[in-house]
Order: sequence, then C-alpha cells, then structure tokens
Amino acid sequence: MSQDKSPRFLLSANELSKSFGGIKAVNNAKISVNRGSITGLIGPNGAGKTTLFNLLSNFIRPDRGEVIFDGKPIHHLQSYQIAQQGCIRTFQVARVLSKLSVLENMLLATQKQTGENFFRVWFQQKSVRQEERENKERAMAILESVGLIEKAHDYAGALSGGQRKLLEMARTLMTNPKLILLDEPAAGVNPTLIERICKHILTWNQQGISFLIIEHNMDVIMSLCHHVWVLAEGTNLADGTPQEIQNNPQVLEAYLGD
Amino acid sequence: MVGYLVFLTISTALFALFALGLNLQWGFTGLINFGHVAFMTVGAYTTVLLSSQGVPLVIAVIIGAAIASLLGLAIGMSTLRLREDYLAIITIGVSELLRLIALNEEWLTKGAFGVQRYPLPLAGFEPNLIGKIIMIGLLTFIAIFTVWQLWRGMRNRWREGKSIKGKSIQPRKRIGLIIWSVIALALILTVYVNGVIAISNYYNYKVGLMLIVLLVLTAIYWGLELLVHSPWGRVLKSIREDEEIPRALGKNVFWYKLQALMLGGAIAGIAGAFYAWQLTSVYPANFEPLVTFNAWTIVVLGGAGNNAGTLLGAVIFWAYDVLTREYLPYLGILNPTQLGPLRIMVIGLILMLLMVWRPQGILGKKEELTLGR
Repeated sequence: MSQDKSPRFLLSANELSKSFGGIKAVNNAKISVNRGSITGLIGPNGAGKTTLFNLLSNFIRPDRGEVIFDGKPIHHLQSYQIAQQGCIRTFQVARVLSKLSVLENMLLATQKQTGENFFRVWFQQKSVRQEERENKERAMAILESVGLIEKAHDYAGALSGGQRKLLEMARTLMTNPKLILLDEPAAGVNPTLIERICKHILTWNQQGISFLIIEHNMDVIMSLCHHVWVLAEGTNLADGTPQEIQNNPQVLEAYLGD
Repeated sequence: MVGYLVFLTISTALFALFALGLNLQWGFTGLINFGHVAFMTVGAYTTVLLSSQGVPLVIAVIIGAAIASLLGLAIGMSTLRLREDYLAIITIGVSELLRLIALNEEWLTKGAFGVQRYPLPLAGFEPNLIGKIIMIGLLTFIAIFTVWQLWRGMRNRWREGKSIKGKSIQPRKRIGLIIWSVIALALILTVYVNGVIAISNYYNYKVGLMLIVLLVLTAIYWGLELLVHSPWGRVLKSIREDEEIPRALGKNVFWYKLQALMLGGAIAGIAGAFYAWQLTSVYPANFEPLVTFNAWTIVVLGGAGNNAGTLLGAVIFWAYDVLTREYLPYLGILNPTQLGPLRIMVIGLILMLLMVWRPQGILGKKEELTLGR
C-alpha cells in the first residue's frame, strides 16, 4: 500500500500522558505505526500498554498529548468516531456479544448501514433488506476464511476462548479498517490456534490492513512484526526492528528485573 | 358482559402499549427506567389539555407523544452518561416530580380536582350500517394479523425445538406450544366475537375507543417488530449486553440510548392519551409509581426483549386483576380491605416464583440469561 501523497505514518502519537491518582500509567509516551506495517508493542506487566491502547482509541481520555491518524488529529474525537475513521481496537480479554449469534456479531460491525436509522427501517424496507443480504454474504465469507462458518448461527457465548479471539478479529475485519489495534491476540490460546491467528494477520496485512499488536508471546512478535516499541513503567524504553530489540540490554533488564 | 369485556380489552391494549415502550427501553436496550409513568403523565395531560382548547385530537396526541419523547431526551441528556443504577433513581424521581407538578400547578392541570369533560375520540359518532361494517372489517383485519403473527411465532419455536437435539425436555415443550396456541387462539376469538357483537348491537363510545386502541397497538407492535429485527435493533441489543463493543465498532452508543428512551417515551405518551380517554377524567393520583411497576410486571412476566411476550404479559396481568377482583370476595375468607393488598402480594409472589423457575419470562429466551460473557 503505497500512497504517494499521504504521510508515512498511519498512526502517530506524541507526548501521551495519563495519570490515575498519583500513578502515572502512561508518561510522555510516543508511538507510531507505518502504513501497511505490523507494529509490535511489548513491555513487562503493568507497563501501561493496554492503557496506551485505551488512550489511542480514546476509551480513556488522555491528560495530554496528540494522536494523529491518517493525517488527521483524532485525540479530540469520541471513541466511536475514531472507530469510524478506520482505527478499530480489540480487547485484552476477547469481548463478544454472547447473547447474539456469531453472524449477528459480525453484522453489527458493518459500517454505515441504512438500517441503523429507524426511519429508514420503516420507510426503506427494501434497501435495508437488500443491504442486509449483501452484508450477510460478506460476513459468511469472512467467517469461512477464519473457520467459524459452522458456528455462524450459534450463540457467540457458546464459543471457546480461542474461537472468541477469532470472532473478535473477524468482526473488526467487517468494519473495513485501515488499522487494527490487537490487544494480546495470542493470550490463552493453544499453539495450533496461535499459528492460525498469525497466518490470518499476515494475510490481512497483505490485503493492506496495518496492525498494532500488544503481545507477550515473543515468538509471535518476532515472526510478525516489522517494528517493535518497548514500553516500561509508562514510558518508551526502546524501539527498533525485532532483532535490535532482542539484543537490547535495556529491554532484557526491564523484563528480567534488576 | 359485552361492555365489561370491551373495557378489559381497552385496558389490556393500552397497558400493552405502555409496556411495549418500556420493553424497548429496558428489554432491548437495558436502560433501567423506573419512572415510565412520567411519559404517560405527559402524554395524557398534553392530550386532554390541548384538545380541551380545541386542538384536533389526532394532533393533540401527536404533540403529547412528541413532548413525552422530549422528556426522554431531557432525562437522557442529563443521565445517560451515568451508570444504569443512577438512571433508575433519576427516572423514578422525574415521574414523582411530574405527578407533583400535576397536583400543584392548578392553573394548568386543575390539581387534585382533575381534568374532566375533555373531548373524546368518536364521542358523538353513531355509525350507520356501512360504518358498522367498516368497523367490523377493521376488527377482522386486526384479528387476522394477530393470528398470522401467532402462527409465525409458533412456527419459529417449533423449528427451534427441532434444531436443538438430544434434550429430553423437548416433547413437553411441544405440547406446551400447542396448549399455548390454543389458549391464545381462544383469547383472540373471544375478543373478536365480543368486539363484533359490541359493534353491531351495543355500540357506544367505548367500543369505538377499543377499535382505535387495537388499531394503534397493532401498528406500533408491527413497527417495533420491524425495528428490533433490523440493524437498529441489533445495535440496541449489543448495548444491552456490553456497550463497549458497539463503541469500539464505531456506533454512537449515547445517541442510540437516547433514541430508545425517546421512542419508548413517545409510545408511553400515546398510551397515556388512551388512558385518559378510557378514564374520561384524569387526576394526578392516576399516575402513581405503581403504574410504572405494573408495566415492569408485564414486561418481566412476558419475557424481556420480546414484544409478543409483552402482549402476553399484559393479557395475563389483566386476567389476573379481573379474576381476583371479581371472584376472590366470593370465597368469603377475607374482607375487602384485606383483599386489596393480598392481590398485590400475590403478584410479588408470582414474580418471585417466575424468577426461580423461569427467570427469562414466559416467552424469553433462556440462552440470553444462561450464557455468560
């Protein structure tokens, strides 16, 4: 995905800070994601990675700092508006709507549906139904590609933990995102499924979607990422290619302790 | 007897309408509204006061519904960013506030003396033969529509039973379905035959009102059914379960909550107009918090998040009300002052038993309760 006029960074954040009481969860952090890249975000437990995600998607309002997405500042937008711009987040513990079917979970994610306006539901029934049919086809195609098609009509609550992760990713795909923020896609997932998830991420990346991934599983980070950011105690510790990070003594120290 | 059944039909239909509004807010969107009667108060008073000033009834009702939905907007703007329990407290406060305003602002509402002698729909209307035939035609249309809805619902349940394999409770469930269908059919037939007799032989103002409220109920029920099965309804259901998910997927959760509150409020406002027309005089005492909890009983009984369940809940509620009111005194065990509280206590007991054995309500889906996150 090379677009000449657009800047190199799809997402860049500078001087982000957030305190909870006296604790500086994120302090003057900076991060950027290149267009079309898979970028990793690692750090010891409690480093503020998930908080940083929450700040980027404005689920938590930052105290300070700016976030630029696709050339436009987004830190003043509501979280749903950020999602509408094409920057979609997932959650650390996969969140699915367990009382809706897997297919409905997918359909919910579709952007700009005619049927989301209740006047149109009443007065443009035909186009709403037509659109719903098309969205269903697309959802089924995505479900097929991630191997959840047999589960399409089951309640999402009946899925296993790994399947929920898959559903959550498939659901973000339904929104036609530019950037997906993945929070620990491999946590609590068996090795076979981790491999499958990695393969999906690579495929989607080739289709032009960029990724920012928080992950503790170093194999995943090393095999997927083009660039890795390291966060410790809320601030940037290092960034570079996976190889550089692997050999960075500071990073090793942060992980292993004093 | 015919007149009494007409009265019952109106009561059931208008409470069904009222509860449908609550079902949209709580059953589908998860907004805990303990002050639903506030919307009814606004709808009732606006309609009767405006029509007393010579505003045509239809327009008065529409304005009443609009003001009720504006009330929803005001409540929502100020509270929906708070968590749900706070919404519950605020709404009950608002409903009491409105009742007290109606009680004390005598220049507007005539206070405790109430508003009387306001225009009623079809009040001086004496249908000739053609008029009666048209009315029976409309009633027949409603009956056919209801039976069709019943048929569709039952067919879906039947198929559902088929697709869930290997469960021993299944045969009983099917017998239950058949019994329910027969009861529902008998009920529809009773109301229909009674309606036809009332129109042809005993026409009065109440019969006309019955026809109108049934027509409005049918239209609103149909509109809501379309909505809850649409992408719009899907967003509401997702908010009910976990509002962070739709937010992360680019849905304006706050605006959807407001819409649910406003639309539910408008429906309750319309129900308020019918309430006023049935009572033929309105007093602030008609709008006590108990009315809200009657609607809650109806929604919980029928199954939250199910419009047909709400209709069923209203029928059961009024059937219970009438049976205990008419027949308990004959037992001669308790005196009338003891009977009143007893009847309400039994409702509480029924609700508790329901929560133990069938927490999803009569038509609710069990899976919606048992599946965790």
